[in-house]
Parts: sequence; structure tokens; C-alpha cells
Amino acid sequence: MSLWKRLLIRYGSFFVTLLLLSGLFFFLGHIVLKGGNTLSPALLFGEVAPMDALLFKERVFEGLFPAICGTLCLVLLSVTLALPAGVLTGIWLSHFARGRAKRTLTLCVDTLAGVPSIVVGLFGFSFAILLHTLTKGRIGPCLLIAALTLAVLVMPGIIRTTEVALSTIDRGTRLRVSAMGATPVQAIFHVYLPMAASGIFRGGVLALGRCAEDTAAIMLTGVVVTAGVPYALFGRFEALPFAIFTIASEYTGPEELARGYGAALILLILCGGLFGLSACIACRFRSIKR
Amino acid sequence: MKITFDTLTFRYGTHTLLKDISMEVPQGALTALTGPSGEGKSSLLSVINHLWQPEDGVRITGSAVAQFKGGAVDLLSPHLNLPLLRQKVAMVFQNPTPLPFSIFKNVSLPLTFAGIRDQKKIHQRVERALTRAGLWDEVNHRLKHPAATLSGGQQQRLAMARALVTNPEILLLDEPTSSLDAESRNGIEAQLLELKKSCTLLLVSHSEDQVDRLADRIYRLDQGHLERQG
Repeated sequence: MSLWKRLLIRYGSFFVTLLLLSGLFFFLGHIVLKGGNTLSPALLFGEVAPMDALLFKERVFEGLFPAICGTLCLVLLSVTLALPAGVLTGIWLSHFARGRAKRTLTLCVDTLAGVPSIVVGLFGFSFAILLHTLTKGRIGPCLLIAALTLAVLVMPGIIRTTEVALSTIDRGTRLRVSAMGATPVQAIFHVYLPMAASGIFRGGVLALGRCAEDTAAIMLTGVVVTAGVPYALFGRFEALPFAIFTIASEYTGPEELARGYGAALILLILCGGLFGLSACIACRFRSIKR
Repeated sequence: MKITFDTLTFRYGTHTLLKDISMEVPQGALTALTGPSGEGKSSLLSVINHLWQPEDGVRITGSAVAQFKGGAVDLLSPHLNLPLLRQKVAMVFQNPTPLPFSIFKNVSLPLTFAGIRDQKKIHQRVERALTRAGLWDEVNHRLKHPAATLSGGQQQRLAMARALVTNPEILLLDEPTSSLDAESRNGIEAQLLELKKSCTLLLVSHSEDQVDRLADRIYRLDQGHLERQG
């Protein structure tokens, strides 16, 4: 390769990376600058005393506290539903599936990964209508259906990261483990899954982020502007991304818009916190498996 | 605890790797298998603990029988209980790369696979295996440390301890000292001479000197044909 080509690749890739990082920092800086000033107990709890709100003694109407609780419940419920199913499907794809069955399921997973979230939301909405009809109006769009919809949305990512993480285990290791007298199931649960844990956790973290930010899917399946702190799986709920969407589309003045930036900043902090927590769990898991 | 091959032929796709192999690996002795690279020595080992897969295009004909304490086992039977067979026939690979776990877990895993849950028993068996492999004194104070922190020679002895922890009747060794320095190699060889008293050993080695030093019986594999040399 000629010198100018090497220089072009070297400085071109550096420039593109710099451009992307600049965009990221500009975006984060913009949110922090615009939303940082609004961060206060009033943004979270409105007129209600923080302790009363945190102990669920008094309902919060003005602040973002119910939306934060709703987002946390939604994220935890969705990931709890998606993770076991996604990991088990990933295991099946990487270790047991062969031939046409493997190709068909891989195609299904890839197709599902490419489906826009609004379409998955419509599927959830149809499911909610079906339940509404079957239960004579007792069940409609709610937290559980929204969580199920998000679980369907993030499951392809979890399946793929699990499959890829397990596929990176080399043939030599597999031979060694077989030679130790392990059955295929023992090998997976005692050796391969602990070895692939970091990759699977990364898939889980991406799923967390997707569940926390997706608005289209939950708009059709149960989220509302005012519902208070979620009290039941079959109840309506509030969520931060929907709160941001509502403020951004209906704000009437700069103060209200600043509240939207504040909500966006809180969502970023929440996601950062969840990512950090996942990283700590992954780190802890790495030290335990030794 | 002996192995007998009779007119064994090992085909990989259209390539015949081993042709009409007949040999006996006697009990309580160290049998060595030597010869040029790529002639099928490791494939012959894989027949004994059934590490070959028909799905990979492997076809084996002839007869391969292992005589254990509990009776004879047809090693080519499609109905073999593989986990049980591999508890009786352990293997040490050429590359000792340990699993990314602690020293203790690396050695105790075969016991977990064998369904042993009693922690006291597991600790006793791990200590015994590490002692038999000549590693206990060097690692007993750091059993929870990652196995990757051990030196090359120690990792190979760890692999031997892992193979010995289920008290196998047959131990297969695929060039276990090829990547080690002279001191580590001498340590492993001393352990092998000790193990000969309790195990049937089959050693694959390129080193003529090593084979002469250790083996009670020597076979040479060349161009798919086996020949007894000593």
C-alpha cells in the first residue's frame, strides 16, 4: 500500500472518530446545559414534599417522579421477560440448532430485529385489544403489555449477543470440556455461559438502554401523561420518554421546554446508572467465576 | 484397563488416515506412540475417548475395545455413555491452556460433571489430584487464584491434575511436554513414571529420547501404518 493511502486511512479514520465524538459531546453538552438548571426537587416532586413522595404517602401530579418509577418498572420488567427467553434461544441457536431449523430461526430473529418499534407497538396494541375483548373490558393497554412489547423488541439483540458470545468459545476449549466428561448441558451451564457472561451482559445492557428510551412501542400499549406511580401490572403508567415527547410536542413556553430538557437529562442519568450497575454486576460476575 | 485395536481404519472424508491398525495398550505400563506429524496419532487417541464426531465426516471401521475394571467396552459402539467413558479415560492435551477459572475450579470441574456435590469430598479429591500431579505444594495457598497466572509447566501439571481427579483407569497424553522447558519436562516425566503404577498410559510424543526414557512399549505410526518398535 502506498504512503499516501496509508496516511489517508490513518488520518481519515481519526477524523471520522473525532467527528463522531464531537457530535456525541455536543449532544450531551447541549442536554446538560439546557436541562442542568432545571434539576431540582420541584422538577421531580412538584409541590409535594420529597419524603412524602418517596414513601408514596402523597401522589405527585406536577413532577417527573411517577415517570421515573414507571420507566424503572418498565425496564426491569421487560428485561426480566426478555433475558431468559433470549439467552435460552441464543444457546439453542449456537449449540443445538442445525440445518434448516437454524436458518429459519436466524432469519426470523434478524427480521424481528429489523421491525420498526411502532410496528411492534401496533402488535402489542392488537394484543391489548384482543385481551380487552376476551376479558370483557377488564384488561386493556397496561404496564405488563407494554413490557411484553418491549421484550419482543429487545429479544433479537439478546439472542444475537448470546449466540455470538457463545460462538467465540474455540473448538479446543469445547474438546477439553467434552474430554472432562461433561454432557452438553453441563458444558453450557458450568463453562460456556460463565465464559460468555461478559458478552451476554453487554446484550443485556443494550436491551436496558433500548427499553428505557423507546417511546413508539409504549405509546400504543399503556403509557399515559398522568397515572401516578405504577401500582399494578394491569394498570396504566407514566414513562420518561413519553413525558419528554409530550413536553416537546405541546410546550407553551421556554420554562416548559426547559422541563423537557431536564427530563431528558434525568433519562440520560437513569440510563447511565443502569449501565454502570450492569458493568458492576458483570465485573462481580467475572471475579466470582474465577 | 487395557485397550485393543484390531484392523482399525480411520477415514476423514475421502482421506484414509489410519489403515488396518492392530495394537494392544497393556495395563499398568506406559505405551508410546511416535511418528511424523499429521500421521493420525492424535486421531487414534480420539478413538479411545470418543472425541470424534460422525458429523465431521469421520468414519471408523474395525474394532476398538477397552477393558475396564467393570468389564469390556466397545469404543466404536454408537450407544456409549460418553460422560462415563470420559471419566474412565482422561486426556491431557498438547496445549495446556487452562479454562478462565480458578485453579481449584479447573481441577474440580470433572467432579461436578460426574455429579459429585459433597464439598468435603471434592476438596479431598482435588488435593489428591494436585498432589499426584506434583503441584499441590506450589498452589495450595492460592487455589482461588486464576489458573492463567500459573507458568507453562504448572499449567500442564494442572491439566494432568484435572485429568486425574476422577481417578481414570486410562490416561491419554497428547504430546504433554512439547511446549515446556527442560526442567518442567523432567517434572512431568517423573510424575508419569509414578502414574504408571495406577493407570494405563498412552503417550503420543515426537521426541525419540523421551519415548526411550519412559516407554515400556513403543509403536511408530508412519503413512497410516503402525509398526511396533520396542
